[in-house]
Amino acid sequence: MRYRRFLPSIVLALLIPVHILALSRIGEEQKKLPVSDESAPVITGPVVRLTALGNDGVASDFLFLKAIVFYGSTFERKGRPRIKPGEWKWLYNILTASTDADPYFLDPYYFAAGVLTWDSHLIREANELLEKGTRYRDWDWKMPFFLGFNYFYFFQDNGKASEYMMESSRREGSGRVISTLASRLAYEGNRTENAIYFLREILKNTDDPSIKKEYTFRINALETILSLEQAVEKYKKKYGRTPGDLNKLVERKIIPALPKDPYGGEFYLDQHGNVKTTSDLASMSNRR
Amino acid sequence: MYGITIFALLLMVANYLISGMFMQELGKVSVDMALSAVTFSGLLLVFFVGINLISKDFDRKTIYMVLSRPISRPQYIWGKFMGMAMLIVSAMVIMSIFAAISIVMLKWTYPAYFARFSWMLVLLALALITLMLILVSALSFLFASFSSTSFIALILTILSYIIGTSIREVKALVEAPQAVGIQVSPVTLKVVKAAYYLFPNISLFDIKIQAAHGINLSASYLFWVITYGIGYIIITILLASFLFRRREFP
Repeated sequence: MRYRRFLPSIVLALLIPVHILALSRIGEEQKKLPVSDESAPVITGPVVRLTALGNDGVASDFLFLKAIVFYGSTFERKGRPRIKPGEWKWLYNILTASTDADPYFLDPYYFAAGVLTWDSHLIREANELLEKGTRYRDWDWKMPFFLGFNYFYFFQDNGKASEYMMESSRREGSGRVISTLASRLAYEGNRTENAIYFLREILKNTDDPSIKKEYTFRINALETILSLEQAVEKYKKKYGRTPGDLNKLVERKIIPALPKDPYGGEFYLDQHGNVKTTSDLASMSNRR
Repeated sequence: MYGITIFALLLMVANYLISGMFMQELGKVSVDMALSAVTFSGLLLVFFVGINLISKDFDRKTIYMVLSRPISRPQYIWGKFMGMAMLIVSAMVIMSIFAAISIVMLKWTYPAYFARFSWMLVLLALALITLMLILVSALSFLFASFSSTSFIALILTILSYIIGTSIREVKALVEAPQAVGIQVSPVTLKVVKAAYYLFPNISLFDIKIQAAHGINLSASYLFWVITYGIGYIIITILLASFLFRRREFP
């Protein structure tokens, strides 16, 4: 009769290790199951709004959280390219859904401006998002500012860029620099110099250490290009023609040595005499 | 009440942890989370406490004892409803205090991200949530007054809440079907329009997004939404007491 009293405790003591073992085993087995690709379709904005039952704001937050968690997880990937084109598309779709649920939410726009443009070249898509942001966040100078930068730097459309910069400078908190920029953009040329101006402005307004690092790096590269461009100008003034090759600048002692591209590429002169780099200002190690 | 307090505490901690994961608009995220959490727990209260108030009386036959006393049936319904409304208001006050604490904590940790934050709008949003909860509770009284078991009343209340929150979007969708490329039959259109007037338009009470972004609302909007809410509540309870008077007990 006595063993009946202890039987439940004995069974329990045996079952607890079994439970832990089973859980860890099934966890490992689960990892082997085919994982759903992140390029899977995203629930579209209208459906999110219907199913969120009035909690659109939280739905938007969680969609965005999903996007940044995915983006963060790609930093651990070994393969190149780090993010496949289909995944970029997925990121864009999820950001669209997030801004559909709450069109006033700054973070998805901010993320699109910082990540979709430089890394994936989905500039048109990023601009679409930013245009939506400009429309809804009509108090925020940053939306047209980013948009203007994209038009200026990626599309070389100075007219459109200065339009958006003007819009940005009209909004509260934009500061004097942006109106200066808007007027400077009306002039042709000065592309590199203006880009440095822009990026410094972004750098001033960011606290995120990784974004800060990214922009500082980019500014350094652009400053190197600017110094080379100035050297080419000097050469033109002295000899009345373009050097044809950057090495000529070193030969004629205009610069002591060819600078290195921080992104790992090499500088060269194209047929129009513009300074270019083989890295195209994207890190050589994770290019597509 | 203990359950609500513990729930509110948990949500406060969760709000603090989750909001910290975002990049820029922490203020917006924290207000979103706090208001949605308060709505959710308030709805739980209405669905599981409110409905039982009347239906339990039927299920356990205690209603006979109440009705043998010298109070009229409408008095019984109004009395129970007032009690429920007071319970909702006091629960909302407790949860709002916790929600406010979580927002204050976040604001204190990351003050730079609360540029467009206004307590006024958050309080307004909380007040409208309270009104919405009382409205849903009034609906649950209406359903409980004629349904035979509490389960049916619960299902009907949940369904009308879901219809109420999405009716505006659905109406917009069937009125402009070409936007998404679907075909809508005239019958569907009529049904949706009828539902639009019949069911409460709960999305009107939802100003969470405006509160989160500090977008001001017009005074006339507030006036009309409160008028609409109170009017709907009174109509619902009058209807419930009318049905309840006609009800025959086995």
